[in-house]
Amino acid sequence: MIRRLRALLRSRSPGGWMLTIAIYALALTWLYPFAWMVAASLKPTAQIYAGGLFSGDFTLDNFRFLFATADKLGRPFLKALAISALVTGAVTASVLLSSAFIAYALARLRFPGRTLFGDFLLLQMVIPTSMFILPLFVLVKELGLLNSLWALILPSMMSGWGIYMMAQSFKAIPEEYLDAARLDRASLWQTVTRVVVPLNRSIIAIVALFTFTGTWDNFLWPLIAISDTERMPLAVLLATFSKQYGSYVGPVMAGAVLQTLPLVLLFALFRRHFLQGMSLTLK
Amino acid sequence: MNRRPHLSREAWIGLALAGSYLLFTAVFWAYPFFWLAKLSVTQWRFFDTPVFTGPRNLLLTLRDPMFLQALWNVLRFLLLYVPLAFVGALVVAFGLQHVGRGKAFIALCFLLSNVSSGVAMALVFTKIFSATGPLNRLLFDWAGIAIPWTTDPQLAMLAIALVVAWKFVGYYGLILYSGLLTIPKELYDAARLDHAGPLTRLFRITLPLLNPQLMMVLVFAILVSFGLFTEPFLITGGGPADSTVTPQMMIYETAFRRLQPSHAAMMSILVSAATYLLIVVARRLFERKVTLA
Repeated sequence: MIRRLRALLRSRSPGGWMLTIAIYALALTWLYPFAWMVAASLKPTAQIYAGGLFSGDFTLDNFRFLFATADKLGRPFLKALAISALVTGAVTASVLLSSAFIAYALARLRFPGRTLFGDFLLLQMVIPTSMFILPLFVLVKELGLLNSLWALILPSMMSGWGIYMMAQSFKAIPEEYLDAARLDRASLWQTVTRVVVPLNRSIIAIVALFTFTGTWDNFLWPLIAISDTERMPLAVLLATFSKQYGSYVGPVMAGAVLQTLPLVLLFALFRRHFLQGMSLTLK
Repeated sequence: MNRRPHLSREAWIGLALAGSYLLFTAVFWAYPFFWLAKLSVTQWRFFDTPVFTGPRNLLLTLRDPMFLQALWNVLRFLLLYVPLAFVGALVVAFGLQHVGRGKAFIALCFLLSNVSSGVAMALVFTKIFSATGPLNRLLFDWAGIAIPWTTDPQLAMLAIALVVAWKFVGYYGLILYSGLLTIPKELYDAARLDHAGPLTRLFRITLPLLNPQLMMVLVFAILVSFGLFTEPFLITGGGPADSTVTPQMMIYETAFRRLQPSHAAMMSILVSAATYLLIVVARRLFERKVTLA
């Protein structure tokens, strides 16, 4: 045990060890805002700016305030949480399903205009989506969907980026797997769900994670499309609450924790796929 | 297989799948695109019928001092953000290269800020930067100074740049790290034999060979700065004295507060054009063809 430790210590020069420690310290410093947010959400507002990170009386009062009292101020946080979950779940499921099938077509099926379709997807990705916010508002207004959850779901149900990323990965599937599926007379549904998807978990995890995060944390579009506080997703409700009741630091931070928690959990859960997938997207 | 004039089953399935996406795109992409073009050359206020006014919107927008201020603010932001982002990303990339084992842990620590909530973190940083916040207390304890982060026009932009850099440095670092992995070790050995110091190696070998990755980071940084909305909107609200108003905030304010959508449509077209222009200029200036010969 001690011998191993000595070998480990000698594997680097003292300077090298200092550098390693400095890098770890910097990495942990990067997490400081998260630690501060969690600590602040658990303290009475008066104690948040006083004393150190871990000192103070820790309570769940801020969360109670958010769910009970804020409701009476016309800020239904529990409802907003449900709306965010519903919208994000629907968009992510729809994007994953449509992207997997269309990407399979783009990568593996021969049909007229296939290369043109791929070029078109690339062209679409180059044009920034922020340019479309205003005319999209006009469209959604014409469809009579303002202030409805459809306004948040419909425009994001498919993703050119998702299709493109998955297609890039699907191109690398060895032909034998698909031949075997063809021999077994597998249907399109079976081929994609039983053969293609299990072989490409990392890229699917990446598309899922980015779609989920992007929808959950989307701010500008729901800010425009939804003005009724009863229909707001969490990100927007939290921002309006903070604008009006900014001095309620504790409850605002409790809301920030709620807004962050699902994303952090998902990231922690998929971290291995995520790092693998990141190296895929950087190729 | 015999050649038949009509399409195979495979082609039909492919066409149907691609067609479903094209249909979606026609409604939620092409139609808005057409509206944007139409709005930019007409006068419209959400309720009446659009009246053709030709280049009037363009002239009005180009003479709008607020809009020009917003574009100028993007350049001010880039001037602060690009050095912060590059230095931070290089530190992360070299750090990842240096630590042997806990590589994944370090990467995840730096990436968490990138995948977590921008809205929540903007609110957290509003508190961290506030006059009595933890950052100012730390500075006061150590150096005896307090910095008016969000109430001084120059510092407010720095505060925004720090928050955005905090968010993206991990991602940029990973991009640079993937580039570092492709540089052959022999090059450094050869340089050491020639008595090249660490700085010479950095500026003569590492940075030139990282050019494709550095360019990627620069292009991403330009895209981020023109798309900036959540952070300034929530942290400074555009103030003090419009010093942190961004083009996206201008478009939002013009369309939905001042109710001038045609004016705002022209702005979003101009902002997109400015983004491309800057990216093209940056590539002309800094892009190098690197070859290992």
